[in-house]
Amino acid sequence: MTDSHLTRRRLLRYGAYGAGAAALGGTAASWERLTGADIPGRDDGSLVVATLGPAYGPEAIRTLREGFRELHPDIKLQINAVQAVDWSDFFAKILTQVAAGTAPDLVYVATEGVQLFAQRLGVALDTWVKRDAAELKEYFADVHPSLVESMMYEGSLYQLPVEFNAADMYLNHQVLRRAGAPYPPADWTRDDFTTLLRDMKQASGSRFTPYFWTNRLWGGVVPWLFANDTNLLAESKAPGGEWLWDSFYPAGQRADRGGGFRWTTPQATHDRVEEVYDYLASLVQDGLCTRPEGGNGQNLIGVFSTGRVGVTPAGGFWAGGLHLAGMERDGFDVQYFPRWRTQRMQYGAAGYALLRTSKRQEEAWEFIKYAARKETLARLFTTNQTTPARRSMLTADRYQETGPAHWPVFYDTLDRFPDTGPIPAPPQVAEVEQLLLKHTGTALASSRSVRPALRRLQGDLEKAMERDA
Amino acid sequence: MTNTQTPPARTERPKAPPAPQAPRLSARDRGTRLLATLFLAPTIVGIVVFTVVPIVGSVVLSLFHWNVIDPPRFAGGSNYGAVFGDETVLVSFRNTLVFMVFAVALQLLVALALALTLNGRMPVWLRSVFRSAFFFPLVLSAASISVVMKYLFNQDFGVVNWLLGFVGIAPVPWLTSENAAMTTVVLVYVWQQFGFSFLLFVGGLNNIPKEIHEAAALDGATGLRKHLTVTLPLLSPTLLVASVVGIINALQVFEQPYVLTNGGPGDSTRTVVMVIYETAFEQLRFGEASAVGVLLFVLIMAVTALQFRLSRRFVHYQ
Repeated sequence: MTDSHLTRRRLLRYGAYGAGAAALGGTAASWERLTGADIPGRDDGSLVVATLGPAYGPEAIRTLREGFRELHPDIKLQINAVQAVDWSDFFAKILTQVAAGTAPDLVYVATEGVQLFAQRLGVALDTWVKRDAAELKEYFADVHPSLVESMMYEGSLYQLPVEFNAADMYLNHQVLRRAGAPYPPADWTRDDFTTLLRDMKQASGSRFTPYFWTNRLWGGVVPWLFANDTNLLAESKAPGGEWLWDSFYPAGQRADRGGGFRWTTPQATHDRVEEVYDYLASLVQDGLCTRPEGGNGQNLIGVFSTGRVGVTPAGGFWAGGLHLAGMERDGFDVQYFPRWRTQRMQYGAAGYALLRTSKRQEEAWEFIKYAARKETLARLFTTNQTTPARRSMLTADRYQETGPAHWPVFYDTLDRFPDTGPIPAPPQVAEVEQLLLKHTGTALASSRSVRPALRRLQGDLEKAMERDA
Repeated sequence: MTNTQTPPARTERPKAPPAPQAPRLSARDRGTRLLATLFLAPTIVGIVVFTVVPIVGSVVLSLFHWNVIDPPRFAGGSNYGAVFGDETVLVSFRNTLVFMVFAVALQLLVALALALTLNGRMPVWLRSVFRSAFFFPLVLSAASISVVMKYLFNQDFGVVNWLLGFVGIAPVPWLTSENAAMTTVVLVYVWQQFGFSFLLFVGGLNNIPKEIHEAAALDGATGLRKHLTVTLPLLSPTLLVASVVGIINALQVFEQPYVLTNGGPGDSTRTVVMVIYETAFEQLRFGEASAVGVLLFVLIMAVTALQFRLSRRFVHYQ
């Protein structure tokens, strides 16, 4: 009688052969996926555009792609929505693609990255702008020169802004009513603001925080610095840019415009900076605002819409956000940032940057122009998730459903206060932002912490600015 | 003084025995060896590609300045000099060590206490419920847990302070005070991680023969004394494994402090891996980041080696 059972050794051997064959077969079958060769647009001659994923959902991408195809059926377009937490995370992922040799042709870049991209990776758009000046006249006439200036670097233009958000103040109507306070006037002061916070606190009890703010470059300490007529880094302007201003803007609007902003010298120990930190520290000590690290955008809409927060700085994007969260258009309103020494305000803008590595630069320029067209922006920004860079798009109709009542504030922040400027964003912006967040947290621990923390901030900023970006 | 001794007579060196010849392998043995090599090959390739190459790559990169965009420039040891001169890096090493000590100690204590409790008399179904409950946080993503915890521990709007309010305790700045932030990060980390040590201890306790406990009981050992003189020594190999794994994990902590506090307030919860991430991916200084990574690698190796060395004194095998 023979033993028909497999021996363990033989079973193992056949198992190994089977596993090996399966591994080889699987690898061969998924080779394209493993190597990324099946990614749409890769190496097939498409113009590749990278956008910030969370800001551009599938619907927006389809809209962009279909609209462009109608206009340029001969250009293959691929839009990659890169998922990222914030702008610095997004830039890190784009730079990883650059390092891997799979750089996109165009990248959606906000103020935070304009100078970094311009200095290291970007292509100036000057030649194309001059060539297509006739076509672009209508665009520039509709866009505030400050937004355009924020996209310039050392005299050249690197992006056409398509959206922006200024740090205005949102007010909760329910909380205002509870405090018996009226909607504040446009020229309200820092002291009016403090009084309003005190009234709100008194009327609402201990589980209520009048002012909610976030610790970041946009909407954090910086708008207060602007209001106090100072900045984290001394601000100046690069020479040049006349080629653009003289061609597209009337004399009244091009006065004092230059070739882009320069943020070079740290001034964290300046008296006015210290004043701002002292003021914010006093608000924290008095329980009138959140600790900076406590606040973030994730829980802000919830606490604002339920009346546990009275005031917060936010841009036009919040109109869409609050509407989506179920807040009625008359439940909130918006006003300019309060005046201190000045009423200069802060904004961040965004547009498409063309990378030097792109082999499809002409097609990329066509996309840049297409993305800045009014029809494109109108189809894209349907839910007021941002403020369009084009003034003519801010209409009563647009804010009919989402509110707020004083929606003209969004664009008037630029028109009424033409010195309103971009957040300080030199090529070393990532390190600057990190240092600001870190030392702001320490500075606001108590009023005594302000001065030593600012001294350390100054020292660290000096080191950061000496480094190459 | 003269040397009167005569030199020893030269003797012939004994012939070295012939080197043993390797036994000739049979075809079957050669097949077995080939099979073993085939089985091991994927692992070896994996270790080389995913462990050895990155380690060597990091060491090489730590000798260069590289910002992704421009070609790398040789930097010699200047990245290490910059790292040692950077206060943030030094603080992050101190934070990481403090975190490691408290997180691992607390994690082992909690896990051991719960394992001992569950090892007592308890219905089997209830024991299963507890085991699952304690292990559950470990299988969740650390980042998502930290996001939820950030809401819970929010000073102004968090549930934790809301609950404390019912017993008259004023809101605690869990994540926004330099004194409290590290404690909160440790608590969140321990809550998520202790399930691993707990399972190890449950297994270790089950492996202790009952006879030894019975013999100890006959000798009059009861309660705490029994645990100290019998259970703990016999559990010491498991304790060693749990502490080695715990320390290696704790030294690489990233998600919890990154999401909960972003390293703040100030630098009070900034850890070494956070510094590596920020230096490389936010500030584009990959050379310096690699230098910090190499130093962390050396630290982990040193601490682990020290643990194994010390373990000779307190680890008892049956």
